[in-house]
Amino acid sequence: MNTIIKVKNISKSYSRGLLALDNVSLKVNQGKVLVIMGPSGSGKSTLIRTFNGLETFDAGEIEILGIKINQNYNERRIQKIRKRVGMVFQQFNLFPHLCILDNITLAPLNVQKRSRVEAEEYGMYLLSQMGISMHAEKYPSQLSGGEQQRVAIARTLALKPELLLFDEPTSALDPERINEVLDVMRKLAQDGMTMVVVTHEINFAKEVSDQILFMDSGKVIETSTPDIFFSNAKHERSRKFLNQLDK
Amino acid sequence: MMRYKRFFLQLIIILLFIGLVGILINNLIINLIRTDLGFNFYWLLKPASFALSEHALPFSPSDSYAWALLIGWINSLKVILFSLIFSTILGIIIGLSRTSKNILIKKISSFYITFIRQTPLLLQLMFWYFVGFLGLKNKFINFSNILKINTQGIEFFGLSLTPEFSALFIGLSVFTSAFIGEVIRGGIISVEKGQWESFRSLGLSERDGLIKVIIPQALPAIIPGLTSQYLNLAKNSTLAIAIGYSDIYAINDTIINQTGRAIECFIILLLTFLILNLSITNLMEKINKLINKKQIYIN
Amino acid sequence: MYLKKINKNFKKFREILLLNSLNNFLTIILVFAIFITFLQTFNWLIVNSKWTAVTTNIPLFVFGTFPEDQRWRPFIWIMSLLTICFLSIVPPKWKWLRKNLLIAWIGMIPLGIFLLYGGFGIQTVMSRNFGGLTLTILLTVCSSMFALPIGIGLAFCRQSSLFVVKKLSSIYIDSMRAVPLIAVLFFGQLLIPLFLPLGLEIDSVWRAIFAFTLFVSAYIAEDIRGGLQAIPHTQIESAKSLGLNHLQIIRFILIPQSLRIALPALTNQVIGLFQNTSLMSILGLVELLGIGRSILANPKFIGQYIEVYIWLASVYWIICTLLALMAKYLEKRLKIA
Repeated sequence: MNTIIKVKNISKSYSRGLLALDNVSLKVNQGKVLVIMGPSGSGKSTLIRTFNGLETFDAGEIEILGIKINQNYNERRIQKIRKRVGMVFQQFNLFPHLCILDNITLAPLNVQKRSRVEAEEYGMYLLSQMGISMHAEKYPSQLSGGEQQRVAIARTLALKPELLLFDEPTSALDPERINEVLDVMRKLAQDGMTMVVVTHEINFAKEVSDQILFMDSGKVIETSTPDIFFSNAKHERSRKFLNQLDK
Repeated sequence: MMRYKRFFLQLIIILLFIGLVGILINNLIINLIRTDLGFNFYWLLKPASFALSEHALPFSPSDSYAWALLIGWINSLKVILFSLIFSTILGIIIGLSRTSKNILIKKISSFYITFIRQTPLLLQLMFWYFVGFLGLKNKFINFSNILKINTQGIEFFGLSLTPEFSALFIGLSVFTSAFIGEVIRGGIISVEKGQWESFRSLGLSERDGLIKVIIPQALPAIIPGLTSQYLNLAKNSTLAIAIGYSDIYAINDTIINQTGRAIECFIILLLTFLILNLSITNLMEKINKLINKKQIYIN
Repeated sequence: MYLKKINKNFKKFREILLLNSLNNFLTIILVFAIFITFLQTFNWLIVNSKWTAVTTNIPLFVFGTFPEDQRWRPFIWIMSLLTICFLSIVPPKWKWLRKNLLIAWIGMIPLGIFLLYGGFGIQTVMSRNFGGLTLTILLTVCSSMFALPIGIGLAFCRQSSLFVVKKLSSIYIDSMRAVPLIAVLFFGQLLIPLFLPLGLEIDSVWRAIFAFTLFVSAYIAEDIRGGLQAIPHTQIESAKSLGLNHLQIIRFILIPQSLRIALPALTNQVIGLFQNTSLMSILGLVELLGIGRSILANPKFIGQYIEVYIWLASVYWIICTLLALMAKYLEKRLKIA
């Protein structure tokens, strides 16, 4: 089985000596779903953002799809990674000046240099998969949050990525809209997509994930399968966190 | 690797820039030698041999060019200062009228603003000068020797102002007041709606609420806009030349026509305005700091 | 205690009454003043005003001293400008035209130069015969279209991480914004020839366009910079994570979004530029205001100052208002987008 992500002892400190990441190591194999959980400020967003070079780190090494990066920022390698890794953000981050279809085709046309016909065809196919093909000509501000997030997922899928990163994809959504997005993510997992998801959605984590990584103050506290984590977490702090979430 | 690349890129840019400036200066020197002018400032001490109708300090044609420039400076500062004060007063009235509840006042002030802003300042100045002052019949307005307005200009408590000065002063003030009015309105609008509701619910009158609650909060948003309007006013005052008021630009222009010293005069003009800009900006920054300090006490 | 309360209530009552009566009083006075003004203006319009200076010189105001039999050329150019303005505001359904609007806009400059200067089969006209509204529009259109890309470039340079680039553009922008426009225009007219090698001459219209471009680009740069700073950082992050490189982010994300945010400010720059072209009337070009001044200098039309100024003010006012309305409409349309 191929290893997609291999993180070896990475650390990152903020200016005041605070550690955002403290000696983190992990591994994700192909087709697996890793869910990262933890209280806010625990470094989970920082961790996932190092995977495609949005955050730098001070020590250690990351290997994504066989491409190694270390503390020395290497534009070319990071660019290579970004072309093969998709990312979905909490705030959707669609481009407000482009219509939905243009949002989706922007990268395929300019990064992968595909033909317009092909890019638009595939974009429409993705939109119909997400159940929002009727909005193709609209602009982001005319869509609901759930719809926008589905467009954002379609936008990353348009590049046919080998790994998808989700940074709290449902945190900015109205409660009744959350499932639209989670359903799409479930389907992706079933189709064998390798995913790393930062989320607070316990049910999603229970059903879909292969592994749960629990972080607190920049450290990995525990890594377990969901069965163990949710019923019988090894660590005191994990149990405390889960208790608070239940309330 | 990356750092060397950046360093060389910057070095190349500097060299290109120096090269370009070098070519231009080279051309300039050739042209100056050709026209037999050279480049120096000794001529500043020669007699100006032109008369000025408007001078705060004694001036005669036998005085030097440098003295004439100083007179121009003073004339510029005079009109800028007068207009600055008057346009602020007018601007505040207009800005407040724009937020007034009285629909008629609101409409009139908004018409005033759009009309003034959508016509060129130069045209307005010419209107004030040729129609407003030179077009007047003698003794148009005369309030028992306190305020006289006629073709000789304005006379106010024995302080007589030439028609050129008056036209420039009124034109600049009216023009700038429209912009200041918008700045004031913007500042007032920027204050949260809840603040209006809360002072009203406390039983404060509209006027007290405006003065004690709204305006202090609006000031931080108003000051930067006001600063840039004052700078514009100072720059716009150079249009004085169109109606024959001898400000710093007009005097530079006259000197260039007489002596052909265009480069030197241009340099003087640039320095003048850099200093003027810096002093206005500094002054406004001080005011801003003062307000911010007070704000802390209020909070 | 009780008395105090009554007193207080009474005070409050009086305050409200006074406020309202003051308001009413103001309204009455204003209505009266407006009435008087209207009456006076009406009286003047019917009895005293003489419009011969305007009515007999309309072609002069529009075309300046452009040869009479060639006036169709500036006319065509102005008409095509109007058409393209209209098409930009109310975009047609045809996608190819919408995509090529930018090219059409850029094409307006060579078209204008060809139609005005002539050559290639039509009679050549010297630039000293350009004048009136035609010249005003030529100066505005050319200067703003040259200044926009330069301003965008300067804005990005000022944000650059290269120290030298940043400093040079900051110095340029700040010093340009510190000097009065008339000094820059003066520089264009009198000093540019001094900086050019012998034998190379640029005609005064192009020197004016050059000076306006230098001046306005500094202001546009600051507006664009404001727009750039208003773009949330997350936009750049999401573009990066899609694999777009630096130049692609600038081209597809930063430029369109900053232009959209800066649109109201940019409109004001264009309106300001349109009005400021009138300064060239002091520096020897006979654009719209210059024509007005030369007509007023004609003894035949002596004393018709008010009429000519009112006429000129209305022309400037109408065109500026149209520009402002156009921009408002465009803004509204872009708001969803």
